[in-house]
Amino acid sequence: MDLYVAAFGFGLVGMSVIAIAAVGFTMQFGITNMINLAYGEVMISSAYVAYYLNKAGITIWVGMIAGAVFGAVFSFLLNRVVYAPFLRRGTSHIGMVIVSLAVSLMVANLLLPIVGYYSVSYQDTTGGLIRAGGIVLTTNQIAIIGVAVVLMLLIHGLLRYTRLGKAMRATAANPTLARNCGIPTGRVIDAVWLITGALCGLAGVVAAMNSDSFAIANGAGFLITALAAAVLGGAGQPYGAMIGAVIIGMVTELSAAAWSPEYKEVVAFGILVLVMVLRPQGLLAKRGALAAAG
Amino acid sequence: MAAAAEALVTPGRPMLVASDIHRHFEGLHAVDGVSIDVPSGQITGLIGPNGAGKSTLLAVLAGTLPASSGTIVFDGEDITSSPAYRRARRGLVRTFQLPSEFARLTVLENLLVAAPKHRGDSLFGALMGKGYWIDDERRLVHQARALLDRFGMSAQESDYAGTMSGGQKRLIEIMRALMLQPRLLLLDEPMSGVHPKIVLEIQHYLQDLRAEGLTILMVEHELHMVERLCDSVVVMAQGKVIGSGTMATLRRQREIVDAYLVG
Amino acid sequence: MNTYYATNLLVYAGVDIIACLALNMQFGVSGIVNFSFIVFQAVGAYTAAVLSLPPDSANGGFQIYFGGYQLPFPIPWIGGAAAGGLLSIPVGLVVLRRLRSDYQAIALLVLSIITNAVITNARPLLNGAAGLALVPPPFSDQIDPNTETYQFLYVGLTAICVVIVFVLVNRIVESPYGRTLRAMRERELAAMAIGKNPVQLKMTVFIVGGVIAGLSGAILVGFIQLWAPSVWLYPETIILFAAVIVGGRGNNIGAILGALLVPVGFEEVTRFIPTTIGPPGLIPALQWVAIGLLIIGFLWFRPEGVRPEPRHVFEGAAVREETG
Repeated sequence: MDLYVAAFGFGLVGMSVIAIAAVGFTMQFGITNMINLAYGEVMISSAYVAYYLNKAGITIWVGMIAGAVFGAVFSFLLNRVVYAPFLRRGTSHIGMVIVSLAVSLMVANLLLPIVGYYSVSYQDTTGGLIRAGGIVLTTNQIAIIGVAVVLMLLIHGLLRYTRLGKAMRATAANPTLARNCGIPTGRVIDAVWLITGALCGLAGVVAAMNSDSFAIANGAGFLITALAAAVLGGAGQPYGAMIGAVIIGMVTELSAAAWSPEYKEVVAFGILVLVMVLRPQGLLAKRGALAAAG
Repeated sequence: MAAAAEALVTPGRPMLVASDIHRHFEGLHAVDGVSIDVPSGQITGLIGPNGAGKSTLLAVLAGTLPASSGTIVFDGEDITSSPAYRRARRGLVRTFQLPSEFARLTVLENLLVAAPKHRGDSLFGALMGKGYWIDDERRLVHQARALLDRFGMSAQESDYAGTMSGGQKRLIEIMRALMLQPRLLLLDEPMSGVHPKIVLEIQHYLQDLRAEGLTILMVEHELHMVERLCDSVVVMAQGKVIGSGTMATLRRQREIVDAYLVG
Repeated sequence: MNTYYATNLLVYAGVDIIACLALNMQFGVSGIVNFSFIVFQAVGAYTAAVLSLPPDSANGGFQIYFGGYQLPFPIPWIGGAAAGGLLSIPVGLVVLRRLRSDYQAIALLVLSIITNAVITNARPLLNGAAGLALVPPPFSDQIDPNTETYQFLYVGLTAICVVIVFVLVNRIVESPYGRTLRAMRERELAAMAIGKNPVQLKMTVFIVGGVIAGLSGAILVGFIQLWAPSVWLYPETIILFAAVIVGGRGNNIGAILGALLVPVGFEEVTRFIPTTIGPPGLIPALQWVAIGLLIIGFLWFRPEGVRPEPRHVFEGAAVREETG
C-alpha cells in the first residue's frame, strides 16, 4: 500500500511534467493545425541546453529558463524556416506530418554527434526531502509541481483575459475569418510558436529533472506521452490536455508501481488506443480527431 | 417559361420521401424537422437564405452527414441508416458545392472511376489481370466518351481534372454522377462560380436530363435560374421548410418573399 | 567485388524493392501514410524465424522465444507473409476506420515506436533486445549456406519474389481498382459519393501491403539469419518513405528506382566513407540527416519524384497539339 501512496506522489510530479508538455503540444496543433512531430526532439534539445549550463556550474533553475528560451527560439525558427513555407504552398495535413517527421529525424541526428549516445543527468537536482503522509518528494519535485501550476494558471489567464489569447482562439476556430476580422494571424501564429516552444523547452528540462538520467533516445517517449495526454483530452484543447496529463501522469506512475517502470510509455499508449477506439474525439473535443477527411 | 414548366408538372410517385429530418451540430439546429417529397421525373429546387440548412439537408439526404433523427425513403426503400456509398450505388447521387474533382486523375478517368459494376474494380478483378476486365473497360470508355462529347469536353479527356476551369469541374462532376446512372441527382449549387456561358449550357443539359426522365433536386441561389428550370420549389429558412410549390405560387406568399429578402 | 558482397547487395536490393512496391501501393497510390510499415516487415521476419528455428532449448538455450517449429521452406516465408497480413487486420480496424488521415499516420508512428519498445523489453517473447540469432536459412539442411551456389540460389529466390510482387502490385495499381484507390487518395468524400467504400478499400490495401511487408521480412531474416529490435526501429520506415517520395509516388518503376537510390544507395555510398572521420556515430547520424533533407528537399523542389505517376491516356483519345 505504501508503494501506491508513494506512487501517488510521483504521479503528482509526473502529471505536472506532462501537463506542461501536453498543453504546449496541443496549443501548437489547435492554433496552427499542424502536428509537430519534432516536439519531443525540441524538448530533449532544450534539456541538453540546460545540461551544459548546469555542467558549467549554473543552477538548474537558470537552466530551466534557458531551456524555455531555447525551445521558443528553436520552435519559432522551425516554423519560419520549414513549416510555414510548406503550409503557404498548401501542403496537405499528411504532407506536413511527413515533413515534421523528417525534421524530427534530422534534429535528433544533428544532436547525436554533439551530445553522444550516453545518458546524462543534472548535478543539483535532488534537494531536500519533504514528507506528507506516505508521500515523499524532493523539494525540486515540489518546485516542479509549483512551476506547472503557475504555468497552467498563466495559460488560463492568457487564453481567457488577454487580447492575444482571444486572437489565438479566433485563429484556431477559423483562420480565414480571423484574418478578415482584422486579426494579424501571421503575428498570432508567431506568438503561438514562441509560447508553445517555451512550454516545450521548459517541459524538456523538467522532464529531464524528473528522471534519473536522460539521453537522446528519450525524445520519442516525450513525444508519445505529450501526444497521449493531448489526444486523451481532445486534440487542440488546452484544458483537455491538462485533464489528459492528470490521468496519464497518475495512471503511468501507479502502473509503474504495480508493474514495471519500463512500460510507462506502453501504458500511455494503451490509454491512447483505448481513447481512439472508444472516443476518438477525446474527452473534451469540440472539433477533434473525428473529422470528415479532405 | 414558368408557365411551360408548370404545365409539365405531373403528379408522380415521389422518388424520395424525407420525414421529420433533424440535424444538429453542437446545439445548432442546422436542419430542424424537415419533411419533403421529391417528385419523380421533375426538377425540384431547394432555395432559401444563407445558413437556411439547404446544403446540410442535401448532405443528410445523400448520407454524407448522418441525420440526428428522421427517416428517408428512397424509391420505396428506407435508406435512413445506409452509408453514403451504398446510397450512391442505389442511384441516389450527389454533387458538391465546392469543386470536388479527382485532381490527379484525367477527365476521362474521373468519369470511368464512377462506373458501377466494373469487373476490374475489385481486388480480385485487378489481380486477374487486364484480360479479365478489358471488355468492361472498353464499354465504359465508350460510354464516358459519349458523355464527354455531349458536354463538349472531348478535347480535354486526357488532361488532369485539377487543371480544368471551375465551370469544367462542375461539368466533370455532373458527368461523373451520370456515369452511375442515377435515379435521383442531388445538385448542390451546380452553377456557383461558373462562367455565364457555361451556366447556360448546364441549364440545357439539366433540362435534357429531365426530359430523359431523371429526377433532380437542386440547391440554387439564382432565382431566375430556379424559375426557368424547376418544376417545383421548396423554400427553407432557419432549418425549416417554410413553403413549397411552383415559383409563381410562392411569389404570391408574402412571408416567403420576406424570408428570402431578409436572409 | 567478391561474390558475397554482390549477393548481399542483390538480396538487400530485392527486399527493399518489395517493401517499396508495397509502400507505394499504400502511400503513393492510396494515400495511407503507413508509418508502421517496418513493424509488418518485422512481424514477417519474426514469424519466419520462429517457424524455421528449432525449439529454444537448442544451442544450449542461449536465447528464448516461443514456437521453434523447424518447418521447411517455403512454410516460413508463407507464414511470414500471412503474419504481416493478419497483424494488419486489427491495426487497420483501429486506425483506418474513423480517424482523420494525419491522425492515422501518427497513430501508426506511435504504434511502431511502442511495439519496438515492448519487444525490446519483453525478453521471454522474442529474446528481447538481443533478438533472434542462428535463424536457419531455407534449404540449409541440403545446401551449405556458406557456398557461392547457395548465395546465388538465395538471390534467385529473392528475384522470383520480386517479380511476383511486381506483377501483382502492378496489376492492382494499373487496374480500374487502382484508379478507385487513386480517386480515394485525391478526395475521399467525393469517392464515397460515387459509391466507393473507403474503409473497405483502405483495409484491403493495408492487408495486401501487410502481406508483402511480411514476405520482405521473411526473405531478409532467412538471409541475414538474425532479427533484433535494433533493425526495425521506426526510422527504417522513414527511409522507405524517402525512397517512394524520391522515386515518384504512385509509380511502380519509381518505387523500384527509389529503393535502389535511397536505402541501397545510401548504404553503399557510406561504405566508402572512412569511419574514422569525426566522433563515433557521426557518419550514421549524418546519413539520417541526409535522409531527412532528401525528403524535405524532394517535397519542396520535386514533390512528384524522379518518375512521376503516369498520366493515363486511353487509346483513341483526341489528339492535341501539346502532349504530356
